[in-house]
Amino acid sequence: MSAYFAFAKSAVMTQLAYRNEVWANMFGKVVQVFARVAIWLAIYTGATSIEGITLQQMITYALLGGIVTGAIRYETIISMIGRALQTGDVAVWLLKPVSFPLYIIVSELGRAAYRLVVLVIPTVAVVALVYGMLPPASIFHGVMFLAYLALAYAIIALISTLFGLVSFWLLTSFSLEWLMQALLNLLSGQFIPFWFFPKTFGDIAAHLPFAWIVYYPAAVWLGRMDVAGTLIYFGIGCGWALLMAFGVAWLWRSASTRVIVQGG
Amino acid sequence: MKTLVTTEYSEVEAVRDVSFDISAGEAVGYLGPNGAGKSTMIKMMTGILVPSAGELSILGRTPHQHRMANARDIGVVFGQRSQLWWDLPVRDSFDLHRRIYDIPAARYEGNLAQFSELLDLTPFLDRAVRQLSLGQRMRAEIVMALLHDPKILFLDEPTIGLDVVAKDAVRKFLARINRERGVTIILTTHDLQDIESICPRLIMVDQARLIFDGALKDLRASMGTRRRLTLEFASDPGPLDLQTARLSSDEGLLKHYQIEREDVSLVDVLAEIGRDRALKDIVLEEPNIEEVIRTFYQGRNTAAVTA
Repeated sequence: MSAYFAFAKSAVMTQLAYRNEVWANMFGKVVQVFARVAIWLAIYTGATSIEGITLQQMITYALLGGIVTGAIRYETIISMIGRALQTGDVAVWLLKPVSFPLYIIVSELGRAAYRLVVLVIPTVAVVALVYGMLPPASIFHGVMFLAYLALAYAIIALISTLFGLVSFWLLTSFSLEWLMQALLNLLSGQFIPFWFFPKTFGDIAAHLPFAWIVYYPAAVWLGRMDVAGTLIYFGIGCGWALLMAFGVAWLWRSASTRVIVQGG
Repeated sequence: MKTLVTTEYSEVEAVRDVSFDISAGEAVGYLGPNGAGKSTMIKMMTGILVPSAGELSILGRTPHQHRMANARDIGVVFGQRSQLWWDLPVRDSFDLHRRIYDIPAARYEGNLAQFSELLDLTPFLDRAVRQLSLGQRMRAEIVMALLHDPKILFLDEPTIGLDVVAKDAVRKFLARINRERGVTIILTTHDLQDIESICPRLIMVDQARLIFDGALKDLRASMGTRRRLTLEFASDPGPLDLQTARLSSDEGLLKHYQIEREDVSLVDVLAEIGRDRALKDIVLEEPNIEEVIRTFYQGRNTAAVTA
């Protein structure tokens, strides 16, 4: 176990070595979040609430939406796996008594924790100061939000790893990054919450694993779900995570028994 | 267009009819030209590649079926693929390695101290791997592969691209590790010198097949490898036929010979030429590995034809 903790720590140390990047990223992030809020300001012009959602709730949703996707880089996970396959570096990992997918996941989670602290939380705080942000609906919702947040990181990391492993067969990871981006934008609720989706489509999206990345954490914070619903959907989310963990283990196993080691 | 929807595979056999046993504590050189199937064999023995047929047992286990258990007992160094963390100092890479293999602290410190001294790593232990020269990196790679006290050390072309000094340091170190710690060494190389200084035993492959398994001196003897001799004269003595060496080309002042018999020494050749031929310079070349294998392979083909 100490190996995986060390991987996460060394990923953070590597980030520190490139800390000039932080300021450029911070600026980009702030602009992005302002833009997202500006869209909702424009949509709400002349209206106090749409479909029962107030502007304040919507701004809060937009701010919370960036907490997971702003900190973790799914594309890093996909391209790291893709690159390891393309360069043959995956061979090196097959020689070690550790799991390569788990190494990739904990390394990115380490970097995500770092970005969360130095990048995402400051950005959200700045925008919240300008436009205001609602507190969690209750203490219960606040606590559950944290649990959902942890689950969200696990789920996005697992989905990205699944996508990355598929490149074993496709021998390209670039197209998978695009696919992941498209699915994430639409199905996580990052751009538009499911409340504004057509009923059937919204219902389907609300039960796909992407929903746990943005939609559910924010919905819990805003108190859009009652106590029972909050707990039940947390259970369903854990089920998805477990299923995907098995998927990763299975894909990795079948991929590593048919490795094509490129470059001799 | 057809290739968009279908993929056509052509099968290439990289290893075929190759059988050998290696005992604990041996040092074996696995030799062959590019594309002979050396790396494929190393990758199968280390559990990276799954053989499509045949039997393979390392320390009593089938490597790819017990990859994790196998990994703890072996160390692997690839000359052309780094296992160190590019952005981290060498010491941090070693520390990650310690955690991956759960090496007890005392043993880790002991190994690190001893190996660092033998291979002179101390000056660059705190430098990031990306700042190291190839020779420094290679030394660090080898030390890392040994930190967890593997029973077998596999090296895939460990001296490739190194300068003479670094090659020498690596060879001396490996020979010592084999001798003093009893670590079994299996290394692939293009360089006959690697084998001469590290490995008493040589396994040679070409075109996926085993062509020789035995001691290096037996290889030379059994193949009748020719050493090349170049004589330079101050004035052209005309065509000069010798008993001890066969004239292969004549450029007047420069004459090229091949010495076909193992028992002929340079002294014999010089004695035959005598003092009165205005001999200016002599160069005696050992055949390089490509040549050794070519000679051997040609010999086998002609033997097959005449048999």
